[in-house]
Amino acid sequence: MKKKQFKKKSGFGLSSKLSQIGKKSCPLAKKNSEEINYKNIKLLKKYISDSAKILPTRITNVSHGKQKILVREIKKARALALLPYVGN
Amino acid sequence: MNIYEHTYIAAPEANKKDMENIENKIDEILKKSSGKICKIEDWGLRNLAYPIKKNSKGYYRNLYLEGDNKTIKAIEEFEKFNDKIIKYLSMKIKNLPKEDSELAKEKNK
Repeated sequence: MKKKQFKKKSGFGLSSKLSQIGKKSCPLAKKNSEEINYKNIKLLKKYISDSAKILPTRITNVSHGKQKILVREIKKARALALLPYVGN
Repeated sequence: MNIYEHTYIAAPEANKKDMENIENKIDEILKKSSGKICKIEDWGLRNLAYPIKKNSKGYYRNLYLEGDNKTIKAIEEFEKFNDKIIKYLSMKIKNLPKEDSELAKEKNK
């Protein structure tokens, strides 16, 4: 008889618990994540669709507080023609 | 005194003289109202995401200013009636950033 092997728990924090359930945590709330700024276009482009709409948190998993900041910065970038209002 | 972040886009056909004139005029306005420039960033000639006044490119210049609300209003008034400037945006910030922005780094590459 083979002994059953149990998986070791990686930690006791909230993030490890969430990973066991299968929920993802906010990608912008991690320790080394970049600062949300309208000048950081590379980061902002991840959170807009092909037709330049802002993606909802249901798809991106961004927390409510970070989404508020993100939306404001995207709109600033749009005003300065760094990001488009309308895409393809 | 507040710290402001001010960006303006100049038309692509603007030559060196035009750009210098704009800089001198802003300096003049700042001197009058005892404001000063803390930091300047040049983002160079960039493609615009959408055409502004039939231009598809523009010279970006980013300034960090110290002054009153009247200072920033006077600068915006001047830029509104300058036909070499196609767009501007100014906003109040709390602290000066320590590092250069991504856009300035992009230009240096």
